[in-house]
Formats: sequence, C-alpha cells, structure tokens
Amino acid sequence: MPSYKLTYFNGRGRAEISRLIFAAAGQKYEDIRIEREQWPALKPKTPLGQMPVLEVDGVELPQSAAIARFLAKQFHLAGKDNLEQAEVDAVIDTISDINTAWPASSSDEALKKKFLTEDLAKHLQNLETLGKLYGKGGHFFVGNQLTWADLRFYTFGQTCIEAAPDCLNNFPWLKQNRAEVEKQPKIAEYLKNRPKTSF
Amino acid sequence: MSYKLHYFNVRGYAEVSRLIFAAAGQNFEDIRYERNSEEWTKHKNEMPLGQVPVLEYDGMKLPQSKAIARFLANQFHLAGKDNFEQAKVDSIVDTLYDLVAAFIPVRMEQDETKQKELAKKFFDEELPKHLKNLETLGKMYSNGGSFFVGNQLTWADLTFYNFTDLIFQSNSDCLNNYSWLQNNRAEVEKQPKIAEYLKNRPKTM
Repeated sequence: MPSYKLTYFNGRGRAEISRLIFAAAGQKYEDIRIEREQWPALKPKTPLGQMPVLEVDGVELPQSAAIARFLAKQFHLAGKDNLEQAEVDAVIDTISDINTAWPASSSDEALKKKFLTEDLAKHLQNLETLGKLYGKGGHFFVGNQLTWADLRFYTFGQTCIEAAPDCLNNFPWLKQNRAEVEKQPKIAEYLKNRPKTSF
Repeated sequence: MSYKLHYFNVRGYAEVSRLIFAAAGQNFEDIRYERNSEEWTKHKNEMPLGQVPVLEYDGMKLPQSKAIARFLANQFHLAGKDNFEQAKVDSIVDTLYDLVAAFIPVRMEQDETKQKELAKKFFDEELPKHLKNLETLGKMYSNGGSFFVGNQLTWADLTFYNFTDLIFQSNSDCLNNYSWLQNNRAEVEKQPKIAEYLKNRPKTM
C-alpha cells in the first residue's frame, strides 16, 4: 500500500478535488496545509514552485489535474475503460475552460457581472450537454457511476453558487448531480467534518 | 474500429493527436474544415460543444484536445507504462498547456507596439520559467534517458515537440540554453514514423 502526502495551502482551491477523491475512496493520506507565511521558504523545494504537490512513496508529482486523475485511477473513480476515462477527462477540461474564462477578481465589475449573468449559463449548458451525452441516463456525468468528474463539478459548483446563488436554477440535471454526490455516505461524512476555509 | 478526427485545416490543438496517430502508425480520417466555411457551419452543431477538435470513435463523439490526445495515447501505448508514469506524463502536458496559455495572448496581439512589449516579457521572463520547470520534470522522470518519462517516447514528448514548433515561429533561438530539451526534440524527430509524417504533412499554420 503506497503512502500518500498531499501538500497545499490551508484552503479548498486546487487540492479539494483530490481530498474528495481520497474521501470517496476511504483512503488515508497526510493532508499537509501550508500557511501563507510558510510558503516562500517551501516554494523553491517544490518541483515547479507551485502547489498542490502529491508525494507517493517519496516521489513528487505536481499539477492538480494530474494528481487528481492519478488518485481517481488508483481508486477506480476514473471511468471503467479508456473511452469512459476520456469522457471524464472531457468534462474535467470543460470545467477548466470555465475557470480560464472566469474574470479575475481584479477585473472590472462590468466584466464580472457580464460573466455571471450571461456567459456562465452557456458554460453550464455545455456541462449539462456532456452529462446527458455520457451519463447513460443516470445522474452521474459518465457511465452511471460516480467518477472524479462528479467530484470536480461538486467543488466547482460550490464556487459558482458562492458567486451567483441561483446559477443552477435553470440546470436541474446539474443540481441533481450535486445532490447525488452529497448523498454518498463517505462524501457526506467528509463534507460535514472538513475544515471551514475562506477559499 | 475506425477513428475520425474533426478540426480546422491547421495544426493548432489537433496536431498532437495527429502526431500520436503517426507515431502509432494508425490510420484515421483527418477531417479538416476551413474556418468560416459553409461546410464548418453545417457541421458545427453536430459537435457536442460546438467546437473542434472532436474525435469520433465507436459511435461516441469526444471533444477537448487534451482528453482526445490522452485517449489516443492510451489506446496506442504512448501514455506511460503504469498509472504513476501516466501521471508524470500528465503533469508535463499540463505544464506545457500552461506555457501555451501564456503564449497565446502574445501571439494574438494585433497592436504592434503592445505585441513587442508582451513578446519581450514572455521571452525574457515567462518562457525561461516554464522551460526550467520542464527540464526539472524531465530530469526527475526520465530515468536518465532523452524522453520526458520512463526512457521511452510518450505523448509528453510529442506535445513538447508540437508546442515548441509554435513558439519557434516567433523566436527560433529560445531553446539555445536548454540542451536537454533540444536533445529531446531531436530524439522525437528521429523516430522514423514521425520523420515520415513531418515530411509529408500539409503545410499549414
């Protein structure tokens, strides 16, 4: 059994997807949370000067999506064959595109407002389209079972709802998908007990 | 089982997949649309997200260039030999996509003065940072060989080759101080099926 150590800031951010995967799998790991003041000293010791970093039996892996996919595959939460795994990856990349399009907090208010009131809905529609295309009629994004695509949408959905509380009102499939994730016993337990952080 | 790849008639985000097909010696239908053509307008709505590239395989349509390339690499054993190697490959590909994301605004800027400013910042500061990161990962994961991961060709090498081709169009000297990375590109070009493909592929952007 390999040993896992995940290092990130003390927040959900880019590490939460991996923490959810560990939780869904019931897998123990070291959840290292770095305070902002500790980061400058640690930064040069990381492979790319970034976090999260996953250490597996002492070997380091950077890049949040690569980490999450590795863990999902370890714990059979990635899709049951190559094609299903690719469908999961397509959902993941589509969520990533939304993050890229999301205006930075430093952008002007008009741009941020346009994104939340107009653009976000188009992106969410794309996600619903994929869920209906790959979900085999079920509530999960791919192949009628929980994968890290659902866990990733869960974390992303939280970000959306915090910015625009009614953003999922016109997307019942997406709402139902998040409800199904929350119902999973190990996830429910994790959500109840995880640290409450500002990001 | 047949493969169909839909994209525009450029290299862009589909070229890594075309390189993977070439390295694997796998036939596929290489469908190319001219931008703004009637043909594209007709087919756009058939694509799941109204975008290309899209891979059609076994009755399924798959969007997203990275997902497509990873799927093909896995089909043809060019993804890494086990889960952890595949993760190392993924981390390199993600680092390459970060680099391209930083480069695209530089390349697309129309205002000449602004473009020169952005290009200087990119080539003096941003690019060296990413190249150093890529060399770090290559040395960590290559098992002493010339390929990025595990001493054999993977789609990490093909993605690096393709993206540096793009950056060379703006600055052909940018790898001069990175001998490991230059050698990696040379090893990719030497692969017989890749050499053949590079010689014969359509000459496009």
